[in-house]
Amino acid sequence: MSRPAPGWLADFQARFGSMLRTPLDRASGTLTAATAKYDPQLSTEALAGPLASGAERLAVYNRQYWFRLFSVLHAGFPLTARLMGYWELNEVAANYLLAHPPRGWDIEKIADGFPAFFEGSLGESAAASSLTLRLTLIESVRIDAAYREVFRAASLPHFRPSASDAANLLTGRLVAHPALRIVEEHRALLALRTTLLAAPTSAIAEVPPLLARPQFWAIVRLEAGTASIPLEAREAELIALLGRYSVGDALGRLESACTAEERANLPERVRAWLARSIEHGFWCSLRRDD
Amino acid sequence: MAFSAEQAECLRRARGLAPEALGLGLRVPHYEYVLEHAPQVDYFEVISENFFGPAPMPRARLERVRARYPVVLHGVGLNLLGCAPLDDRYLDSLSRLADAVDAPFVSDHLCWTGAHGVSHHDLLPAPYVPELVELAAERAYEVQRRLGRPFAIENLSSYVELRSSTLSEWEFYTAVVRESGCWSLFDINNVYVSSQNHGFDADTYLAAIDFSRVLEVHLAGHTREPNGTLVDTHDQLVANPVWALYARAWRMGGPFPTLIEWDARIPPLPELLVELGKAREARR
Repeated sequence: MSRPAPGWLADFQARFGSMLRTPLDRASGTLTAATAKYDPQLSTEALAGPLASGAERLAVYNRQYWFRLFSVLHAGFPLTARLMGYWELNEVAANYLLAHPPRGWDIEKIADGFPAFFEGSLGESAAASSLTLRLTLIESVRIDAAYREVFRAASLPHFRPSASDAANLLTGRLVAHPALRIVEEHRALLALRTTLLAAPTSAIAEVPPLLARPQFWAIVRLEAGTASIPLEAREAELIALLGRYSVGDALGRLESACTAEERANLPERVRAWLARSIEHGFWCSLRRDD
Repeated sequence: MAFSAEQAECLRRARGLAPEALGLGLRVPHYEYVLEHAPQVDYFEVISENFFGPAPMPRARLERVRARYPVVLHGVGLNLLGCAPLDDRYLDSLSRLADAVDAPFVSDHLCWTGAHGVSHHDLLPAPYVPELVELAAERAYEVQRRLGRPFAIENLSSYVELRSSTLSEWEFYTAVVRESGCWSLFDINNVYVSSQNHGFDADTYLAAIDFSRVLEVHLAGHTREPNGTLVDTHDQLVANPVWALYARAWRMGGPFPTLIEWDARIPPLPELLVELGKAREARR
């Protein structure tokens, strides 16, 4: 293809890139560019203009870099951002982006590793000092991630069993559709997420009260868009087991985990859950391990 | 100025994209309205990279829009002035998308967007020097060849001037367009923003443009920062001085398809249609 770029361009772009990634200063209570930290050679290369010094002109790019990336994370994790607050989330986001600078042309991909980083850094965040908030934020980031991943998942056909599949069902392994995630909530976070998305503001949202028992949901992409389907606890357990074991093994493990009372009507319930999972497109294929 | 035969042939591929066409940058909040109301817009422009991924919904919506309107592709990640070679996988994705929507033309910016394996997701300036004219022109030529359709290069809005530049912004831009054999996507708001930030006369920039190479003109809103710096935010109405500049450009080099971009704090589509109507007025 075309000639290589001149060596000086690589050097210039390395300096410029380093300036872009200079963290914004939080000391004043607003995010401001720390121009004194810019590479001196780059600052010399930037001419003063009629409105601003060279460093101030570079700062426009520095701020844009951070605000653009923050806005991608705010949009990808709306529940988490509102529960934690944008200011606090930005601090975690900045640390994440310094450790994992964006790669590739897809800006949305910057969020791929964020949930794991976020969970890992919660212990250090002053904003998540209470255990209640910390546990809520862990669930919220997983819920946001589930919606995001389901939306971005590749399009694959859904598994619709044939007669031969039925015969091999117990020995086969159901492969989860990429547009399926199972999440658990101890507070009504999915409902809160819907409410917050309908009325976006920057105010910190209140943590909802504890539910009587945990609620499981399948987040799944349907024709009309992303849907959240409530699951019984054992149903969610079965879906998780089916993702790891053959259908026969999964059923055996589920049965072992059930109480005697639950076992009484387990076959009918399992049949209904399996039928529902297939109807809603939870699976993309039945794999024969042999 | 007469519309060149080559330019007319380029636009003929648009299936109804007339030289006077008025278009809008299509963003997620607009899809529902567009598909339900089929507003009077001559064409839409989409951000190419938003449709490269495997998620089926964006592509499905785009196909429905494409069934009713011409769609042109506008990229923000080509990295024409990056120190690394152009990304083959990126070009393959772009080419497939352009074929899928039968884009009349494809465009991206005269800038760099990443280096050393890191993407900055911004449209960044490089020194305006002849060595980079040659580099950008060669690469743009290659992009156009690979796409097999017209490729238009957009001028940047910029916030800094670099000491090592030996050419003016317009000298650099027009030289790349000319030497690449590609086309111009001429953003008039960007000219205004740069002229204010750097203290040059926007009409000097305008006078340097070869309008026979202009496939499209972009208009957008900008924001003034407390120190007076203008930032190309695409989050408000097109400013009056930009409309005035547009009117002068139209007199100098019209007709050309014109598109309004709005990327943040996006208003309902009917408000954008009103804004688009102002372009019609400015041409009188």
